[in-house]
Amino acid sequence: MKIIKKIFKPVFFILFLLFTVSILALSIRGVYGNPTTETLNSLYFKDDGPLELSPEKGRFALIYSLIEDKSFHFSLPVAKTVTPDLGYQDGKYVSLFDPGVSIIAAPGYIIGKYFNVSQFGSFAVIALFALANALLIMGVAKKLGANGIASSLAGLVFLFGTPAFAYAVTLYQHHVTVFLMLLSIFLLVKYKGILPLFFVWILVVGSLIADYPNFFLFLPIGIYALGRVFPIEDIDNRVKLNIKILGLISFITILIPVSLFLWVHKVSYGDPLQLAGTVRSVKDFDVDGSPLFREDLLRREGKVLEAETLNKGKTPIGFFKTRNFIKGLYLHLVSDERGILVFTPVLLLSLIGIYYSYVKIPKVTALLLALIGMNIAVYSMWGDPWGGWAFGSRYLIPSYALLSIFVAFTLTKFRGRGLVLILFLVLAAYSISVSTLGALTSNKIPPKVEAVALEPISGKKEHYTYLRNWEFLSNNGSKSFVFQTFGKDYVTARQYFFMVVGSIIIVMTGQIIYLYLTARKDPPSRKATEGERI
Amino acid sequence: MPNFTLSLSIQKHTLSNIQNWIERNALSLIVFVLTILSILLFLFYYLNGLGLAYNDARSHLDIGRRVVEGLKPGIAQLGSVWLPLPHVLMIPTIWIDIFWHSGLSGALVSMVSFVSMGVIIYLFLKSLGAGLLGRFFGVIVFVANLNILYLQSTAMTELLLMATMTIGCYYLLLWAKKEEVLYLIKSAFFIMLSTLTRYDGWFLFLFAALLVAVKVLIKHGFKISLGQLKEVYQETEGKLILFSTLAGFGIALWFLWNLVIFKDPLYFAFGPFSARTQQAQLEAAGELHTKYNIVLSTVLYLYALIYNSYAFTVILGLFGLIALWFSKIKTEIKVAAMALLAPLFFNVLALFLGHSVLFIQGISGNTWFNVRYGIMLLPAIAVFTGFLVDKLKNLRWTFIGLFAFTTFFAFSSGDSVAIDDARVGSSQKNVTEVSGWLSRNAKDRTGFILISAASHDAIIFSSGLPMKKFIHEGTGAYWESATTAPDRWARWIVMRTHDDNDLVWKDVSRSEGFKKYILVDSYPFADIYELDEKYLGDLNTGPTFGKQK
Repeated sequence: MKIIKKIFKPVFFILFLLFTVSILALSIRGVYGNPTTETLNSLYFKDDGPLELSPEKGRFALIYSLIEDKSFHFSLPVAKTVTPDLGYQDGKYVSLFDPGVSIIAAPGYIIGKYFNVSQFGSFAVIALFALANALLIMGVAKKLGANGIASSLAGLVFLFGTPAFAYAVTLYQHHVTVFLMLLSIFLLVKYKGILPLFFVWILVVGSLIADYPNFFLFLPIGIYALGRVFPIEDIDNRVKLNIKILGLISFITILIPVSLFLWVHKVSYGDPLQLAGTVRSVKDFDVDGSPLFREDLLRREGKVLEAETLNKGKTPIGFFKTRNFIKGLYLHLVSDERGILVFTPVLLLSLIGIYYSYVKIPKVTALLLALIGMNIAVYSMWGDPWGGWAFGSRYLIPSYALLSIFVAFTLTKFRGRGLVLILFLVLAAYSISVSTLGALTSNKIPPKVEAVALEPISGKKEHYTYLRNWEFLSNNGSKSFVFQTFGKDYVTARQYFFMVVGSIIIVMTGQIIYLYLTARKDPPSRKATEGERI
Repeated sequence: MPNFTLSLSIQKHTLSNIQNWIERNALSLIVFVLTILSILLFLFYYLNGLGLAYNDARSHLDIGRRVVEGLKPGIAQLGSVWLPLPHVLMIPTIWIDIFWHSGLSGALVSMVSFVSMGVIIYLFLKSLGAGLLGRFFGVIVFVANLNILYLQSTAMTELLLMATMTIGCYYLLLWAKKEEVLYLIKSAFFIMLSTLTRYDGWFLFLFAALLVAVKVLIKHGFKISLGQLKEVYQETEGKLILFSTLAGFGIALWFLWNLVIFKDPLYFAFGPFSARTQQAQLEAAGELHTKYNIVLSTVLYLYALIYNSYAFTVILGLFGLIALWFSKIKTEIKVAAMALLAPLFFNVLALFLGHSVLFIQGISGNTWFNVRYGIMLLPAIAVFTGFLVDKLKNLRWTFIGLFAFTTFFAFSSGDSVAIDDARVGSSQKNVTEVSGWLSRNAKDRTGFILISAASHDAIIFSSGLPMKKFIHEGTGAYWESATTAPDRWARWIVMRTHDDNDLVWKDVSRSEGFKKYILVDSYPFADIYELDEKYLGDLNTGPTFGKQK
């Protein structure tokens, strides 16, 4: 039996990899052909294509500039594709998005370009990060004492059962952030002592290059890791504060991401400490190609901005307001626009897992809850909790990953309870269907307020939930590269969707049945509590 | 790998000594820190002009001032609408001009209450068995709030109400815990003070009385034999009478006061200046949306609560409440602690019955009004949060960290609805133009100003003129004479033209004498009329009525 298990493990792992890679490959958004300066601004690549919204447009334009123009600054034709999220600094057009993701995805562009699919190649890099995230969720959950199959189910839940799926197939920063976060946690959970800290500091500080709010998001990891540099011991009648010299030395590694950060910002914005979001933004262009700013446009409309408003510079902390918190919280958790309850209710099962995890491994649970709390707090206070036009709550993707780990605990605890597993399957099937709908179609879902405002213009019902994706799909629309390039001649978009969703649900059902059967043979009484020893 | 480690050791008994020292001196420490903070913040809000932004703050100060100065000073000036304790507490200082015009006389009461709140939250948590960290954290939750820091710097009544209510609840908790009747008496005393501060206290009185009865029942258990029933009834009755006699004494006094001064024990409730009358006006204008709408009443109050206390803190408080309820603490103690929740039920009920009005920008119209009522639950939130942090040891730093994080942004974004209401909401009243006119033109000229204090107390205050310059509703014979024959008594008249809610307009506009006045200026809140110079010869300019009863 042991031998069978030994053989089965790598086979299962390979099958798992093959399956996830296949589903991701079927879902990555894209069109055939390498975009050029002339075609980059076309509907083929933009609204009708994979560069549908400003985040992926801005990031892809930067990759294009880096590879084709060897510059962090945009040429005028490229700049025109990026508005309204275009910056202007020292007479140059720059990206308003943190440059990290573009740099990371650049190798994908180069490889893709060779096959005449440079855009697909760039997006595929993010899909690889998403895959790595699913594996890391598996790894962390297992390491913390969850069952192996339950852990792999948790990985699949994150990857295909949350809005994270819709951002695994395009060019957003979220999966990179999650990767750095999960890898940090994995290193801290798997390895004791100081050695992992050398890498953790790089990941924690490096996360800033991917997305500036990561400064807050990664704070709990930084503080947790600091506990290893300054461990406190309780010995008999003394309390001992230790200072690990090697731990202090490990801080040196921070210099690597810090240097990279400063260099990238120096070459991008002319000032190593200038943050992307605080650059003056260009709203349009004049006939001669010169930039037009907000005040220019208002002036043209005969309006005058008050001096106070004009002089008000953008500050990094100015984006966060506690007054927004309750609205943001509602939006992220329960609203039909972006809420977890509507888009990925399977994660509700994580609440049970949190309890059991807290009982077994309180310290690591506290870390994970701090990360989730920080994620929710940061983006509930954020001025635009919708994340612009977006599918689901994209800002909560780190929380989806962490909650998935707790789902593994729930499944582990109740793996012998058929009813709970059926409930899980039902919720997972719903969540997977919704998320796949988003991944295969579009992220262009407006906030309710904008959808309502659009109705008089469009003269039709404007959906602001995943019904908008369904509408898109029903019109035989899918932005999947495989569907657009090969599939559409053989199947409709809806059939394609059902094939993908069906495959995921079948595989997960198989895993659940296996989990249930093994649980009946082997009652759940695991004692593995690696976290306790951390 | 070599293990290079520097170590600092400390003996546990040394730590224990430090902890004991902190515990021994905790209250002094809290009093010291909060006093410094309180003074600095008063100065801050005084210097930036926000300390007197609330219309009500100026009215409170004027009420206190009228007791000691004016054409008819005396205790009767405490009036009938607002309960008297806040104004009584101003009396020792309000006669000093700087204390009146800086608002310090009223703020001082709030500041002392603020410091007391820190102490009482600490003690409350100690009584619930929370450790030092939990206790201090509870105090921090209360203090690290811009709405509280602002209100403690003003002459508003929230802090005094909070302090009297919370101290009352604290002693109720001690009574539930220790069964010593002295604590019940102390609780009754402070709840009585709260009933003399604001009508919220009246609800607390009833709520606490109910809890006293429930506590006695819980002590005996719910499975009582018929024989024991009488005994339990007698004990409940005894405790209730003991508690209610003192706690309800203030209410009885207030009825008596209204009967003696205004000839009607319910004058405060049904009189022309009562909240009911004001709410009736709002209802007529279609602005009293919460009346008989329990959902809207609850939603609006919850928003006010969340905006005042900050959403994350409210969530922590809710978790704390759950943790407390499911803790191993004795049920009667938990029940007593629930007295802290009285403001929640009171405010929702008051909104539902139409006795109170609350506007939340974006939900009920486009302005704020009375949003500060939501702050009343902050003591409860502070206590519950402190308890939570104490009980969930492994999560305490997670909670503290997230609290610190969100609070940082509350301060960095200047998140204070209480200030917004005072600056741009309906609770503000920028009367600088009209009061400025009075200050410039009436200061050095003889003659009285006829004005309705009920409508324009803010103008009286902001003019900077002495109270004896004004003839208002509380000046007895002066008022009666001036509203009958204004040209003999008032050189200036300040009123809202064509508005019968303004008592001066209502009485004076129909009089013959009014024809002798010239409209000299018009402002958003009031118009100013001045007696034609040719009639000045017949004008009384001195306090000729002498001492009135």
